[in-house]
Amino acid sequence: MEATIRIRRFNPEKDKKPYWATYTLKDCEPTNRLLELLHRIKWEIDGTLTLRRSCAQGICGSDAMRINGRNRLACKVLLQEFGENPKIQVEPILGLPVIKDLVVDMEPFFAHYRAVMPYLVNETPPPIGPDGKPRERLQSIEARERFDDTTKCILCAACTTSCPSFWANGDYVGPAAIVQAHRFIFDDRDQLLQERLDVLADPDGVWRCRTIYNCTPACPRGIEVTRAIGEVKRAIQAGKRDY
Amino acid sequence: MTSLVLTITETLRYRGKLGQWAWVLHRVSGFGTVVFLIMHVIDTSWATFYPELYAKAVAAYKTPLFTVGEFVLVALVIYHALNGFRIALFDYRPQWWRRQEDAAKLVLLGTLVLLVPTFFIMAGHVVNYYNERVSVFDLGLESVVEATAPFAVGTVVVLGLALIVSAGASVIPSLNAPKKRLKGSKMETFMWSFMRISGILIIPLVFGHLAMMHVIQGVFDITRVGHVPIFTNLGPNMADTLTAVNFVRLRWDTMLAGVYIWRIYDILLLFLVTLHGFNGVRYIINDYIHGRLLNRALRLASAGTMIGVIVVGALAILQSVPATTAEMLSQTSQVIEVNADSDVLGR
Repeated sequence: MEATIRIRRFNPEKDKKPYWATYTLKDCEPTNRLLELLHRIKWEIDGTLTLRRSCAQGICGSDAMRINGRNRLACKVLLQEFGENPKIQVEPILGLPVIKDLVVDMEPFFAHYRAVMPYLVNETPPPIGPDGKPRERLQSIEARERFDDTTKCILCAACTTSCPSFWANGDYVGPAAIVQAHRFIFDDRDQLLQERLDVLADPDGVWRCRTIYNCTPACPRGIEVTRAIGEVKRAIQAGKRDY
Repeated sequence: MTSLVLTITETLRYRGKLGQWAWVLHRVSGFGTVVFLIMHVIDTSWATFYPELYAKAVAAYKTPLFTVGEFVLVALVIYHALNGFRIALFDYRPQWWRRQEDAAKLVLLGTLVLLVPTFFIMAGHVVNYYNERVSVFDLGLESVVEATAPFAVGTVVVLGLALIVSAGASVIPSLNAPKKRLKGSKMETFMWSFMRISGILIIPLVFGHLAMMHVIQGVFDITRVGHVPIFTNLGPNMADTLTAVNFVRLRWDTMLAGVYIWRIYDILLLFLVTLHGFNGVRYIINDYIHGRLLNRALRLASAGTMIGVIVVGALAILQSVPATTAEMLSQTSQVIEVNADSDVLGR
């Protein structure tokens, strides 16, 4: 089958502003992934097409883009969902500066990520195992389950760049950073709870979330993003982990 | 401002689900209601301070444009109330998020279900008015301009002053230090709860207010010859000489169980709605206006208007009738005067 792909292109060295380019590909299979079609355009038609991808398996989080109006991973989109003669529109995710074509500058996104201190802090010495050596900090199954959902994040930025609050104001830490914060706020081994809650109680922290729910369906990992943000809000209001 | 344009165009382009459109409607309906609130509180305060102006304002409210505006307002308020309840519910119970889309549909359905009988009743008043009183259809543009011009001028003046103050404030270094890192804001944390709790409290108050003052009896009734105002102590014998000013005064003077029931009701509504509404405006300003000068100017203008609306509204409700107004009332209506002195009105 034949597929038509419309891509938002921009080369800062040549173009004053972004433009749409349309490519037609023959001999496509319904089981082709969109990423494969983008590869074919780059390899067979126009080598200047620029995009990010790494594992191509939906794990590395490199190829988030806006596909037919919604944020998704190009490697997780199969051609078959678009019918007999697929017409697919691809553009970079919104809210981060475009470097070239589908590649955006992720640095502001990672700055927000770092701001929520995405690492476990525990100053007490680790417990001593039966062999007399330090061992891992044990955690109950229930306590681990509490933040299981938010451990799945791959930092692809699909949620953050689907959020109208983030489009409007890039200072907002965004859903992904809050998901990462959630993962440590609700981890009972962590000792930095109050600092974490303080950081997120900022006007540019969770309070810029308007409960719009664009982030939840945008997540390629199926994380309950808006729920996680809501739980962090409740924890801030209560001032403790078990609100 | 580019941020606002970008948000509008990209919201139209992004294929978000119902939650996104619920948020768009929530913002638009909230902002629209605040604009009306400013006019409505200041206009109504004229019933106390400038009775002649109030009579003119009520006349303007009867023109077709304002009639359409009132229908729109009622729809906006009902949607905002129901959707606000949805937001509060899912914010306090984030684990129920799978039902939020159903809830958003229910909000739309609920708005429609409430609007059908409401619009039916409101349209009844309009039809009555045009059947009884008006022979020639008149847009009343002059009256509309006259009623809105002070607010347009006021907006320009307040914005101009705010811009000057904001420009002046830009020389204070501490106000212009770049923001360093995220740190908690107790005020923002409190406002989040306040928006939800005040919103829930406002719902019964504002629905009651809409029912009493816009639906069951509206602006067309309160000055209609022979109309017996409900929810007041006004007797049927006063109906023939009813004026808008008298109606407001009598309503506020109505007592139930020894208290000025509508004064308390209106004060409560005034404070909650104004604080809720202007905090919403603050959210909108901070979301979309990032230029320091303009952001600060708009926040100043908004805060100033908020204080103005609360002070003017509260004074109008609390202040007893000035002597001049009482005289005027006695001239226009002998019957009112007789009753105002009697125990009927609880004085």
